[in-house]
Amino acid sequence: MRKHLSFAVLLAAFALVVAACGDDDAATTTAAPTTAATTTTAATTTSAGETTTTAPAVVVPDFCLEIPGAAEAVADGTGVTVGLTFDLLGRGDQSFNDAAACGADWARFYFGVGINEITPTDEAARATDLQLQAENSPIVIGNGFSFEAAFPAVCENNPDVNFAITDTSMLNFGATPPAPYCDNARGMVFAEHEGSYLVGVAAALKSETGKIGFIGGVSGIGLIEKFEAGFIAGAKSINPDIEVVSEYVSAFPDFAGFASPDRGKEIALAMYGEGADVVYAAAGLTGSGMFAGAKEYSEANDVHVWGIGVDSDQYLTVGEELQPYVLTSMIKRVDVAVFYAIYDHLTGNFTAGPSTYDLAAGGVGYSTSGGFIDDITDQIDAAIAQIVSGEVVVPTDPTTIP
Amino acid sequence: MLRRFAALPAWARYSAAAALGILVLSFVQALEPGGLERLTSENASGAMLRWSVPILLAGLGGLFAERAGVVNIGLEGMMVLGTWAGAYGYLHGGPWMAVLVGLLGGAVGGLLHAIATVTFKVDHIVSGVAINILAPGLVRFLSQYAFAGASGGSITQSPVIHGLPLVTVPFLAGGDLFGWKTPDILGSITGWNIFFLSDITAFMRGFAVNVSIFTLLTLAMVPAAAWLIWKTRFGLRLRIAGEHPVAGESLGVNIYWQKYKGTVISGALAGLGGAFIAMELTGFYREGQVQGRGFIGLAALIFGNWRPGGVLIAAFLFGYPFGTALRDLDGRSTHALLLLIVVGLAAIAVVSFRRAKRVDAILAGGMAAGFLVWYLLTETAPDWLPNALPFATVLIVLVFASQRLRMPVADGRIYVRGEEL
Repeated sequence: MRKHLSFAVLLAAFALVVAACGDDDAATTTAAPTTAATTTTAATTTSAGETTTTAPAVVVPDFCLEIPGAAEAVADGTGVTVGLTFDLLGRGDQSFNDAAACGADWARFYFGVGINEITPTDEAARATDLQLQAENSPIVIGNGFSFEAAFPAVCENNPDVNFAITDTSMLNFGATPPAPYCDNARGMVFAEHEGSYLVGVAAALKSETGKIGFIGGVSGIGLIEKFEAGFIAGAKSINPDIEVVSEYVSAFPDFAGFASPDRGKEIALAMYGEGADVVYAAAGLTGSGMFAGAKEYSEANDVHVWGIGVDSDQYLTVGEELQPYVLTSMIKRVDVAVFYAIYDHLTGNFTAGPSTYDLAAGGVGYSTSGGFIDDITDQIDAAIAQIVSGEVVVPTDPTTIP
Repeated sequence: MLRRFAALPAWARYSAAAALGILVLSFVQALEPGGLERLTSENASGAMLRWSVPILLAGLGGLFAERAGVVNIGLEGMMVLGTWAGAYGYLHGGPWMAVLVGLLGGAVGGLLHAIATVTFKVDHIVSGVAINILAPGLVRFLSQYAFAGASGGSITQSPVIHGLPLVTVPFLAGGDLFGWKTPDILGSITGWNIFFLSDITAFMRGFAVNVSIFTLLTLAMVPAAAWLIWKTRFGLRLRIAGEHPVAGESLGVNIYWQKYKGTVISGALAGLGGAFIAMELTGFYREGQVQGRGFIGLAALIFGNWRPGGVLIAAFLFGYPFGTALRDLDGRSTHALLLLIVVGLAAIAVVSFRRAKRVDAILAGGMAAGFLVWYLLTETAPDWLPNALPFATVLIVLVFASQRLRMPVADGRIYVRGEEL
């Protein structure tokens, strides 16, 4: 009996500890702005330009970038709900989903739309989630190519709803010639290889060892290979002899490679250990493990190695401790695409089919947060000019690079 | 010969098995075109160790529950609770608090499982699956309140956390002792570059250089668990609950209490495994980061024949290909591992043949031949193989080892006091 009692006492003590910790936390949570709020009544803007806040202020997270041309875009979204459907893991992934969230947050900020967010819990839920969104919102965003599988059934069932899906052209390649699935579905694609070319240039300029690394999330989809090709081509444009080691975390159809920071860290440690001093991860969440690895390797060996982020400006999202290791990020402006999809919907200019966001359209780019590449931005901007003018054509297939 | 080997003391058997394993690795990498050194390098053993620890902790967790007769398929969920609790503990009191809170977090899962299965007689599998479903939802809910809004934190991720200090063992690997740099014995022998001997020392050095205290503590738990289960009164009572609870009850052992103890310890160990993943492997809590290691831990428990030493070997066997494959930037290590599979399957074929198990021998021999052809016809392994290897290892091992395994007799049965099973 005595033993039972001591066990019960232990449990009670644990409960108290948890409760005590909980109180601390409640205080900090209230103080911090909740950027992830899903429903907000919009602020109304008067004609004089003054903002009268009638409800809780619309908050756009700090790490969201400005949208080019957003200030001139005028539309009234009051009463319109955007069905924002994330990819797995949803808002807070510090990468791809956060970028989509930023686009919608800016639309809420400028146009006063409401946002209805859903994060799928597994692959099978995607079609259901889109249908659910379509029943409540006239414009539905699907973030990620995996939503394509739900079409054309979803768009045919909801002819009055506009769908905008990122990372897929929304073309039915089964038809000849390839045609859009429906006249209400837009596919938003990005020239990731062009953005990756820019960070490849940065990596080659910053590498002291002449060896750099590439970590790809999932091989075999044909998407991440574009990042690899651009990165290698960019690096070789600066230093033709540079050695690039590449590794993919998993192979299609195993998508674990996008969500395995532990594996990303191990791979990054191996790459740094073999002499690579700049590593670029195009692998979603897995990339945050790379930054942790950069920090660990740097501290253990008294050197400074770098990581390059992807999709969002990861300097702003990795947290203070890892910031010194984020050289730059290849920014894919999912936010721009999402923002303008909503804008086009509100202004009646929504178009179906593929809509490409390349370097010239401001759809991809690089970040300078942290100031680590301030000394080489001239050379990167020169590369941008070459690509925009067509002087340099960035390859999309790594096997074609000599 | 095998019988004489079995008569040796445990430490001698384990050392001999380890030496044999490294010998095979040395041959395999020497045969690889162009030669390799990394299969027996300290990086390889260091990575093996890192990737084995969560599996080992999950396996040991399963051991305590199943020795008490409770099947714990909820290990996965308890590890998830451990990842979250570890990060939470770190942010509120540093790495040791992370270990403690991670342990408690898992223990809460274990307690829940015990309440369901022992007190309310819920089917063990049903309760375990329920915990596996409950845990990820619970931690996301809790993250919204604990991590969202902090720098680098969100509902799916915690801010950066750190592991326990890394140590380099004095004398063995040249670590510092009170400010004095000790000689690096293993390192110098490795430098002599003698076949096999230098391979052994290099591999051993991975256990001694820049290794986390967390890892060392976990390794120490293996003999501790063996002693607890086989040599103490506590262990005897735990085992009677898993073997023959009616007999135990008739001798005055409170079986319910034993099952509670075993299951809560089980959850605590799984929680430690989760905390290890968050602190040491990743550097933050991240939703979904356990990735099936609770289930692999269960497989390790079965392969290890419900014994701590066996679980350790299984964890190494599963962790080695995983760690090696991740560090394999040019695909050659994985290619060399194909030959290792050939050797393993051939050994299984020979042993099965001598035990007159013809079907097993033919099956293993045929598979060995298939892998050998694959090995000879390729130069590097395909992308997907590294990820498949650990699971293939589990499958092969369980297919051929399962007939010789003995689980606790009353494992998984619902025990009601005063009733025969």
